[in-house]
Amino acid sequence: MAWFTDRHCFLLAVIFYGLSTLYSVFLWRKGFRRDEWANYFLLAAGVALHTLAMFKRGMTLHSCPVNNLYEATTFLLWALGLACLVYSLLPRFKFLAAFTAPVLFTVGIFALMPSLDPPHGLKPEFSGALRSLHAATILQSYGAFGLAAVAAAMFLMQQHDLKFHKLRALLSLLPSIQRLELITLRLTLTGFALFTIGLVTGSQLPRPVGDRYFSDPKVIWSALMWLVYLELLVARLFFGRSTRRFTIGIVIAFVFLLLTFGITNHFSSLHNQ
Amino acid sequence: MSVVVIGLSHRTSPVELRERFAFADETIPDALAALRESGIATEAAILSTCNRVEIYAATTLAPHAACAEIKKFLIAHHAFERALGDEIYSFAEPQSLNHLFKVASGLDSMVIGETEIFGQLKDAYELALAHQHTGARLNKAFQRAFNVAKHIRTATNIQRGSVSVMSAAVELAEKIFSSLAEHEVLVIGAGETSEKTARALQSRGVKKITVTNRSPERAATLAAELGGRAVPFEHWPEEFERIDIAISSTAAPQHILDRAKLEPLMKRRKNRPLLLIDIAVPRDIDPAVNSLDNVYLYNVDDLQSIADDYLNLRKEEVARCEKIIAEKVAALIGAR
Repeated sequence: MAWFTDRHCFLLAVIFYGLSTLYSVFLWRKGFRRDEWANYFLLAAGVALHTLAMFKRGMTLHSCPVNNLYEATTFLLWALGLACLVYSLLPRFKFLAAFTAPVLFTVGIFALMPSLDPPHGLKPEFSGALRSLHAATILQSYGAFGLAAVAAAMFLMQQHDLKFHKLRALLSLLPSIQRLELITLRLTLTGFALFTIGLVTGSQLPRPVGDRYFSDPKVIWSALMWLVYLELLVARLFFGRSTRRFTIGIVIAFVFLLLTFGITNHFSSLHNQ
Repeated sequence: MSVVVIGLSHRTSPVELRERFAFADETIPDALAALRESGIATEAAILSTCNRVEIYAATTLAPHAACAEIKKFLIAHHAFERALGDEIYSFAEPQSLNHLFKVASGLDSMVIGETEIFGQLKDAYELALAHQHTGARLNKAFQRAFNVAKHIRTATNIQRGSVSVMSAAVELAEKIFSSLAEHEVLVIGAGETSEKTARALQSRGVKKITVTNRSPERAATLAAELGGRAVPFEHWPEEFERIDIAISSTAAPQHILDRAKLEPLMKRRKNRPLLLIDIAVPRDIDPAVNSLDNVYLYNVDDLQSIADDYLNLRKEEVARCEKIIAEKVAALIGAR
């Protein structure tokens, strides 16, 4: 079975995410009317294979597999998938999988590009407990932000349907909009706390000679993302920003994060040592 | 021996006729005894509700003759002398079993898919059973009917959704708020529909209700009935800081709540979601308020449209239910 590498395992996981995405389209067209587990199990199979892929890679490296863009992206997706499976167990949250699967599938396809996963050479680019903690917390925070964006998208769909008196709002088995808002807020707070821990641990890492933190694109981008999420949370919690604006902000912030995460990583000298 | 059914329902006869043929509960055992003693039926049960009067019988007579005899019995029992047309229907097997299963499943009810008939049919059967007027044939038919009704309830959407304005309002509230127990309701105008809607909300967990009305006495009376409190009519806008659901049904000739009035109230509420149910005609609430963030406005037409849509969905499910029933009837007859 030596030919069966962690990348094959991840490819299988992405295929399951794809099947779950297809099934989600069916659920979407049916209006989320029936309480059901099929999509949950498809996603769970994907996450199980994904976990196996990460385990195999971690065992090969003897460290947390967050050493290049492929590994970072798969870690992010894994955190998102796992959080989705856990939150889907809440009453009326089974359809979370239908909203999460398209993100896992599309970003998973992106992660499979061979150029994102160059050979490691003699040493992993990242090593040491602090570096692993930094990378793991940052990527888990992205997972939490991703799931918050998924819950926010569910909120926006339900709110639109209720506002415009669509029967689908009543027929669907989605949670109440108040509950969706609460989940979005809690996930964003969790993501923000993890992101802050990740940034603090990152600032404690030894600086490579000649590199300055605040001229590195990834550091600037991370600080910007931190400020964006801070603004969203402060405006919602302390200045009564409407839920609609808050949730739109959460979705936009995560889409921006997904689109720019790879680019900033590519141009960061600190993250390409 | 086969099962036959004779009766009249909301589909075939007006209420004036149905009430002439209705059986009081206490007279049913004697009527069943008389029917069996006459030799027409070996087993029998009578279902008498506001929408239908039906006699289910297991008979050794030829079905056609049995139906004619039971019809004569029904007319004679109620001393009805006027001529009848098609108001009284009769079915022999397999249509009689098909009808029984449809009645149990609510498919023959005035509101398709309603569940009250299930309980009424069960009571009718248990009354006949208790007085030993049923035997193997009817016992099996009724028990199978109850099983089929339960199966249909879980396997189809025939009972899904709200088919009245009040229940549609409750369902909407549950789609906006996580738990109704934590939210306060303001009833503006102590009309009958707003009272019914408030009661429907109470039945789903609402604990705090505030009532306001131009007549303070009427507000106080309704508040006492609902276990809530009354506030003077001129002070109701001040309640908006606390409440999350407002039901309005005043007789005001113009809007009592518009965007200009609600906007500052929403700021004071820190933009918490607000469900406004306007069941007044002419409308009490300016439709423009629906464009405000976190405001969900439904008027009586919106609610009626939801109820109608649900009813149409139920009608679409009828074909599925009838297919299930046909299979179950064939299985019951085949198993004999």
